[in-house]
Amino acid sequence: MIEFRGVNKWFGALHVLKDITLSVEPREVVVVCGPSGSGKSTLIRCINGLETIKDGNLVVDGQRIGDRATNMTELRTEIGFVFQSFNLYPHKTALENVTLAPIHVRKISRREAEEAGREMLAKVGLAEKFSAYPAELSGGQQQRVAIARCLCMRPKIMLFDEPTSALDPEMISEVLDVMVGVAEEGMTMMVVTHEMGFARKVAQRIVFMDAGAIVETGTPEEFFSDPKTDRSRAFLSKILRH
Amino acid sequence: MIWFQLQSLIGSYPLALRGLGMTIALSVISLALGTLIGFTIGVLRTSGNRLVSTVIGVWVDLIRGTPFLVQIFLIFFILPEFGVELDAFTAGIIALTNLAACFICEIVAAGIRSVPTGQVEAALASGLSQWQRMRQVVLPQAMRVSLPPLVGQYVLLIKDSSVVSAIGLTDLTRVGWLVVQRVPNGLLVFAIVGIGYFVVCYPLILLARRLERRMSAAHGEVQL
Repeated sequence: MIEFRGVNKWFGALHVLKDITLSVEPREVVVVCGPSGSGKSTLIRCINGLETIKDGNLVVDGQRIGDRATNMTELRTEIGFVFQSFNLYPHKTALENVTLAPIHVRKISRREAEEAGREMLAKVGLAEKFSAYPAELSGGQQQRVAIARCLCMRPKIMLFDEPTSALDPEMISEVLDVMVGVAEEGMTMMVVTHEMGFARKVAQRIVFMDAGAIVETGTPEEFFSDPKTDRSRAFLSKILRH
Repeated sequence: MIWFQLQSLIGSYPLALRGLGMTIALSVISLALGTLIGFTIGVLRTSGNRLVSTVIGVWVDLIRGTPFLVQIFLIFFILPEFGVELDAFTAGIIALTNLAACFICEIVAAGIRSVPTGQVEAALASGLSQWQRMRQVVLPQAMRVSLPPLVGQYVLLIKDSSVVSAIGLTDLTRVGWLVVQRVPNGLLVFAIVGIGYFVVCYPLILLARRLERRMSAAHGEVQL
């Protein structure tokens, strides 16, 4: 579904992705973790073309990113992207947020889109909030709307860029619960997160990055019980200390 | 004495109305056209095409950096040298529209730049086309920032329209010049001219203030 082969990227002189090779199968859930600045966010932002790659091959849903023949706008409709800072449209209600792309990109009727939108918002536990503006919602609620906004497009892939990092601790679990639900329905997911409980629960694989390179990959059991490198051991001891 | 002058002024009211009509016509037409063009080039200025953006930027700076009177003279007196004959009204409309478009372009561009990149990325990620991103996500939020200065700019442009009297258009200001030759009381005549402009501009000033106050209450999109 997603295949990186020898992908490199630089920000100026900074080598942010170093020779990344990684393959994600359909219905697989991959958690990407690592210290800040290790390139995790850049890695998943490349998948829907929010960042461009310098060399190597990145094939998503059978289409090569950066290829002239690849219609990025079309490909993006198949990829949901959840941001750390939610990025809901502040001038639109929750329901308008989740129906915007279905109406304008998928070209389905407003009535149908709103019906699906209400259903999806109810599913993420926001049945009471259809007509609320983002500013009237808590962080956790906003992030759930953002996830619903992606799901309303019926994507093949969902990418999460530190979805709970901007949340107050008591709101993290409500968002993670929704993500677990999405994973259990068989969505192909890549999740950049430090929520190791989530990783343990739903991830088939954990990818540990440091300084722009993939240092280690493995199942959650392997990774948590028997980290293979010094850097992953150091990282785990820092985030699991408390 | 004053009484006599006032009486003679009242006799000039058809001329004054014509002048007011001309000022309003010039303002409405050039502001409408200027807004349309200003929005278009404001969007183009921020669209990411460097050549287009530079060309617009240079033109806007040129117009903003030269006196309006000079621009009008160039259009009205110099263009005919190159075979473009314009009547005074058309020349006035062109000059005012161009001026309005340049100022509005900068206001719109500033509004667009104030929209957080995360908004554009979210719209991009959901597969909206460039026009849809602009229309559905960026412009409504940019308007929140742009609307109060835009209305304020309208006030300035209406007042700038007085400069077209220099090429012989009988607008409110020129009516003042004509009347003062008959009624030699400049203070009185131009006070009345000033009131004429004020009556047109004051509602806009109030609107701008109201919009500014509503900014904090609105959810990112300002309703009039």
